Amino acid sequence: MILRTAVRFILPLTFLYAAYAALKGHNGPGGGFIAGLIASVGLCTYRMSYGDRAFHRLLPIHPRWLVFVGLGLAAGVAALPLLFGQPLLRSASTTLHLGGADVHLVSATAFDLGVLLVVVGVAVGMISRLGEELDR
Amino acid sequence: MVTAAPYLILAAVGAPALSGLATMLLGGSQRLPRLTLAAAGPVASVALLAIHLGRHGVSPADTPTGTIPWVPSLQLDISFLVDGLGAFFALLIAGMGVVVVLYARAYFGPDDASLARFFPTLGFFTSAMLGVVLADHLLLTVLFWELTAISSFLLIGWDRDDADAGKRAMQAFFTTGLGGLALLGGILLFGSHTGIWRWSRLIAEATTISHDGTVVAAFVLMFVGAATKSAQWPLHDWLPGAMKAPTPVSAYLHSATMVKAGVFLLGRMLPAFGALALWLPLLVSIGAVTMLLGAVLALGQSDLKRIFAYTTVSHLGLLVAMYGMGGASTAEGLMAIDWDLTQIASHALYKAPLFLVVGALAHLVGARRLPELFGLWHRPGTDTKVVAVVLLLSGYALAGGPGTVSFVAKELFFAATTHAAGLHPLLAVVGVMAMAAAACNVAIFVRLATTVLGSSAGVRDGSAVPEPDAHGVDRWAFMLWAPAAALIALQYLGGLVPSLWNRTFRGIEVNVNDGAFADGLPWAWEPFLHPGMPLLMSMVAIGVGAVLGFSGWMRRDLVDVHTRIWPASYRGILQGGHRLFHSVQTGHVRHYLAVVFGVLTLCIGWAAWADPAMLRPPAGMAPLEYPAGLLLGAVVCATAIALPMVTERVVRVLVLGASGFAVVGLYLVYQAPDLALTQLMFEIISVILFLLVLRLLPRPDRRPRIRVLPRLALASVVGITIGWMTLIAGHAADSRADDTPTLGAFFEAHSLQGSELTDGRGGEGRNVVNVILVDFRGFDTLGEITVLATAALGVWSMLPGRRRHREEEDVRVPTGQGTQR
Repeated sequence: MILRTAVRFILPLTFLYAAYAALKGHNGPGGGFIAGLIASVGLCTYRMSYGDRAFHRLLPIHPRWLVFVGLGLAAGVAALPLLFGQPLLRSASTTLHLGGADVHLVSATAFDLGVLLVVVGVAVGMISRLGEELDR
Repeated sequence: MVTAAPYLILAAVGAPALSGLATMLLGGSQRLPRLTLAAAGPVASVALLAIHLGRHGVSPADTPTGTIPWVPSLQLDISFLVDGLGAFFALLIAGMGVVVVLYARAYFGPDDASLARFFPTLGFFTSAMLGVVLADHLLLTVLFWELTAISSFLLIGWDRDDADAGKRAMQAFFTTGLGGLALLGGILLFGSHTGIWRWSRLIAEATTISHDGTVVAAFVLMFVGAATKSAQWPLHDWLPGAMKAPTPVSAYLHSATMVKAGVFLLGRMLPAFGALALWLPLLVSIGAVTMLLGAVLALGQSDLKRIFAYTTVSHLGLLVAMYGMGGASTAEGLMAIDWDLTQIASHALYKAPLFLVVGALAHLVGARRLPELFGLWHRPGTDTKVVAVVLLLSGYALAGGPGTVSFVAKELFFAATTHAAGLHPLLAVVGVMAMAAAACNVAIFVRLATTVLGSSAGVRDGSAVPEPDAHGVDRWAFMLWAPAAALIALQYLGGLVPSLWNRTFRGIEVNVNDGAFADGLPWAWEPFLHPGMPLLMSMVAIGVGAVLGFSGWMRRDLVDVHTRIWPASYRGILQGGHRLFHSVQTGHVRHYLAVVFGVLTLCIGWAAWADPAMLRPPAGMAPLEYPAGLLLGAVVCATAIALPMVTERVVRVLVLGASGFAVVGLYLVYQAPDLALTQLMFEIISVILFLLVLRLLPRPDRRPRIRVLPRLALASVVGITIGWMTLIAGHAADSRADDTPTLGAFFEAHSLQGSELTDGRGGEGRNVVNVILVDFRGFDTLGEITVLATAALGVWSMLPGRRRHREEEDVRVPTGQGTQR
């Protein structure tokens, strides 16, 4: 019960932290891989405390779609420079001026998000698949 | 420079395959259109080559004819070389292609299914062969070479219902395929060593090529390729085996094409490698042994197809020996090879008719064995008589009787051996072997003639004459003998009127050194007017051969001992592979891990042995700098030691987890938050995964604790080696003497902003680890997540999904915990 209640609070925080780590990754500790792992841990904890059905409600699609989308995103970002006559994976960056704050945008971040999705998809997919096996 | 020439040749090469493919579009019983279309390909090849030759003439062997860029980054292009050798072979192949197409129509009769299947395969094969002989780029040669292996495999294994044909096709494919691999290896070795990738350049720079070990090794490999393709001893057995193919194929393979590819290759290599010290002894010994062996074995056969197959082996040996002796001409500046193309053409011009006639006999009288053909001449039927005449005329040419081109060719070869014997007395043996082989050929002709004419000396036994072949014979039946008659006519035309032959061949013959032959081939009676050693040898061969033929000696089937080599080695390879597989793939993870770590340790140990400086502890190492790190290290060690002592699996996983968390602590102590975070998350997930997987696994059976010591020793050695290397590696980055930046320093410097080293590009991020992951080594990361995704797909597909489980639920017996499998 305590775990369930705790997870209810922790999960959004985990996601928030994962998102933070993913976006922050370029300059501080973090990155897509770590963020993916963080999110996976959160999701797995949720699944273990609430069970398969609730988990399915939270993530209504098969994790393989996360893998596909992630891989597609990463490959797309990797291939995009080819369209502009640049070598594969050449990253581009811009700085947006939003009010007072400068937001530094790097195309590598999108690549990182692809990595994140793949990691989440793989980890969650495997664990929930094995969990199903146990539940039966 | 863009010229039309290479495109013209490319069209000539591709035409047979294209027309063959086009015949597949025709449906049903459109026999005439199918035949016309199939013949159009090789005819177009001949015409295009003739146009090319008319426009540009024969190129010198050191000048490429044309180049079409293909893969510029590999310097691989489609380039052609239409020199005398290439043009001769190309015309021979395309010309024979036309003949075989026409003959196939008669051979298969109105059998539409066979024709529909045959023409595309034949076209494919013709194109591949044309590619082999016209390619200038070495790799292009290999490419077409392999295509010939594939297409001949299809042709030899033509009869789908005959298991033996399949086996023979496999044998041919394996033997020539292995040779092809050797050829590829030799060419790659040579090309990468010298940077020469074209025949034309190779021939142009022949004198400057050093004869070092690599070149010799490359030459030997290429020779192996040529020797397997041309059925040289001891790998000749596939060729008589390939007799399982339908007769048009046999005629084609033997006369002009596949088996000559090896000889062609040697002809190509002669100007470049002929000066190698190994060239002459290697080629002459192998070639001479093959020549004699093939002739003797041919004499001991009774099936016509097999007889002619073995005489082909014999003649191929002769050709190889001829090119081998050609090596002496470059080394000594003397003649030892003359009119090599005539030698090849003469063989094609009697061997093709022989095979075509054998196929015709199978149709008309249903017999292929000598005893069954006894008294053929006296049997009724016009076609039979004509076929018998063509058979005898071709047999006469096989024996090298005066009046044929092959007589002159044989004289040429004898002249070459006498000349070679003058260079080195040992080569006189080759002359004797050549005489013996020629005598066998004569004996075969004598036996053939007496049998066909029904003379008392002929071969006969009590066997009944079988029924004619099942293939239908229709109004195209004359095509069974007409092509053969046309081809054999050329033999006599060339032999009796040499001026015609010379007009055709003098232009493309490169190897004409002897003054006596410089003006052309002599009139057939010339040797008799000016007798010499070659004529004497001929006469001896004819005399011995006549005696052999009329006597009953060696009239029973002689078994080729080499037929045993193939099945035995094939079985050996299969069994050996089976055993090897099961000794390597034990199915135990601990074995695989032991091998992987053992090899890693050996590699590192070898490196340390080569550079003992690696064993010295780096200067300035301060092990006591961080006491916390020391403590955590002790924890890691303690868990590692405790791990094998724990028997309960769940506890094991937890102990493993403890070890991992201690490593996380280590990362934190040494200020690597990124790694620590990653490791932490990974530890959590792996512990969860392990626990899940372990609960699914069946109870472990208590296996006896044997061989603990070796495993312990291996583990300790691996651990100490890897640990030490990690220490050294970390330190080596700091203590480089020269100014070149180490990888770590480089990435540190460039992760935010670039410099000249990176074309002014940086990763634009401050987190070095992440910048490396997504930017500098983004391709790696992309590959890694692809691997991850693939692994996940594997898990999802190997563990059947939820839905399928429900269906199987009924049959499964539930047990205490989970489901036992």
